Amino acid sequence: MKKMNQLVFTAIILGITALSSCKKDDHDHDHDHDNQTGTVVVKMEHVWGMNNAQFSLNSTLVHPMNQDTMTFTTFKYYISNFKLKKSDGTWWTHPESYFLVDQSNASTMNLNLGSIPTGEYTEMSYTLGVDSIKNVSGAQSGALSTANNMFWSWNSGYIMVKAEGTSPQSANGSFAFHLGGFSGANNIVTQKTVSFSSNALTVSHDKTSEIHMTANPAKLFHADPLSAGTMVMMPGIKAKSMATNFYGSFAFDHLVE
Amino acid sequence: MNGAVITAPFLLRMPLLTINNTIKLNFMLRNISFFIVGLSLFSCNKIQNNKEEGLTIKIPSYFPQPTYKFINNPLKKATFEWGKKLFNDPSLSSDGTISCATCHAQTHAFADHNVPLSAGVNGAFGNRNTPPIFNMIWSKNFMWDGGINHLEIMSVAPLTNPVEMNESMENIVFKLNQSDTHKTACIKAFGTSEITDAHLLKALTIYMSMMVSSNSKYDKVLQKKSNFTLDEGIGYSLFLAKCNQCHTEPLFTNNSYENNGLDLVFNDLGRGKITENSEDNGKFKVPSLRNIMLTYPYMHDGRFWSIDQVLDHYDHGIVHSPTLSPTLSNGISLTTLEKSRLKAFLNTLTDQELIGNPIFF
Repeated sequence: MKKMNQLVFTAIILGITALSSCKKDDHDHDHDHDNQTGTVVVKMEHVWGMNNAQFSLNSTLVHPMNQDTMTFTTFKYYISNFKLKKSDGTWWTHPESYFLVDQSNASTMNLNLGSIPTGEYTEMSYTLGVDSIKNVSGAQSGALSTANNMFWSWNSGYIMVKAEGTSPQSANGSFAFHLGGFSGANNIVTQKTVSFSSNALTVSHDKTSEIHMTANPAKLFHADPLSAGTMVMMPGIKAKSMATNFYGSFAFDHLVE
Repeated sequence: MNGAVITAPFLLRMPLLTINNTIKLNFMLRNISFFIVGLSLFSCNKIQNNKEEGLTIKIPSYFPQPTYKFINNPLKKATFEWGKKLFNDPSLSSDGTISCATCHAQTHAFADHNVPLSAGVNGAFGNRNTPPIFNMIWSKNFMWDGGINHLEIMSVAPLTNPVEMNESMENIVFKLNQSDTHKTACIKAFGTSEITDAHLLKALTIYMSMMVSSNSKYDKVLQKKSNFTLDEGIGYSLFLAKCNQCHTEPLFTNNSYENNGLDLVFNDLGRGKITENSEDNGKFKVPSLRNIMLTYPYMHDGRFWSIDQVLDHYDHGIVHSPTLSPTLSNGISLTTLEKSRLKAFLNTLTDQELIGNPIFF
């Protein structure tokens, strides 16, 4: 009986805790209403090779290192979890930022981070890929919808980079690289930080500030030319190698305020 | 923690009838705290669980807590009803010929109609036997190889597999948004007529979550509502001694992946295909034995037509390969009499209430 009393007591405390935490939540909604905000858009630009040649779908490209001839038909990847560091050292976190950048749809290259408190920001942090939690939490919507064909149905997880196309260097004429992996040695989810160097990003009331970034898809094949295989369909060493090289090419270019 | 609380109002626990007083006391205590936490939840969270909309899953006290927590997808009658419509709608397949129910029939505990492999669109065949659907909310991973990690996204695989329903999620969403019936059902379930893949996957989840098998004769015996015959009772003892280690009661699976000695060379790597670890080659998920008499043929490829063949396999058919389950290295010796008693027990795992439950009609 003593044990029972203890347990009932614990249960009551638990109940009260649950109640009071709910009340706290209600109060939290009242904060930050009168603060002014501006808009921040991250603009992605894709270049081919170190000389910043234009990257586009359905055009013939020659890889600068291994001379493979490639024509891309699909190029998509996930970028997520944007955070901006204020000049006072605190971070602003985008509440639900998952973007699917799709080369075939120019509007997806502009990542609208929405309304952000005005002020000076010195750094940006973001994630390439989709964090592990979203890979194991069931049906998602928006950029993470399974209707985007960026999800492995038979071995759950997001395809974080998808590059498909044709090449005379491929025995069957085509190539398809579906890169992903969110756990263990095969994890390709990568957090990156950008410093806006001497110029801080200024977010002004009712104005749009742009952060221009570049990425180089040729880097996918930096260590893994088509001669070493034209298809990856699951997480593994090769997916990790290709993603790591590609993710390394993401760079801050300039600000437009 | 959160999930358990959210689920709490919907999960009623059945009265425990057990031989052990300690368990009884623990159960009582658990229920009291359950109730109080539940109450505190009612007082602040607005969860749609009024009597009109709510659904109840009755969980026997000897079952573990479900894995699926109904987070952002409460048990609602409207969601269930839409899920039923979706489950039975062949227009979800690429050519409009095959629904989920085509290969998951209630009469067969939501497995296929006693075929080794199931025919998909264009008469295509896969390489694995259609598993039954029940007690899914207790599963952590799905399919024979456990490659799917969440109940809500499980349906994507059969919907999109070229040898099953062969449709893209994009096109399914497009087709559903052309249907007034589905749009109306989506409004009732989720408050919007703009159907997304997440909506339809969640509705299918709620429908499948109601497929709970917990009313077999075995359950009624545990609940002291029935008694085993002599053969069934001896069969149960044999089962506990020889089978329960992997087919662990009350769900009759330990949710592990095992190589049960079918082949020397694996033409299907099973779990190894998912983990890319050769130590998992030839391993498949230990299937539940509930409703086993309804779901022949057996094994991941449906190679054994009868339960007798299965018992013979364990008795003297084990093939030794590097990944063979250590528990099977000497097989499981069974006399003819033991086999017949085991079968008598396995018969008590058939759940007539599930296969006759009119909510699925």
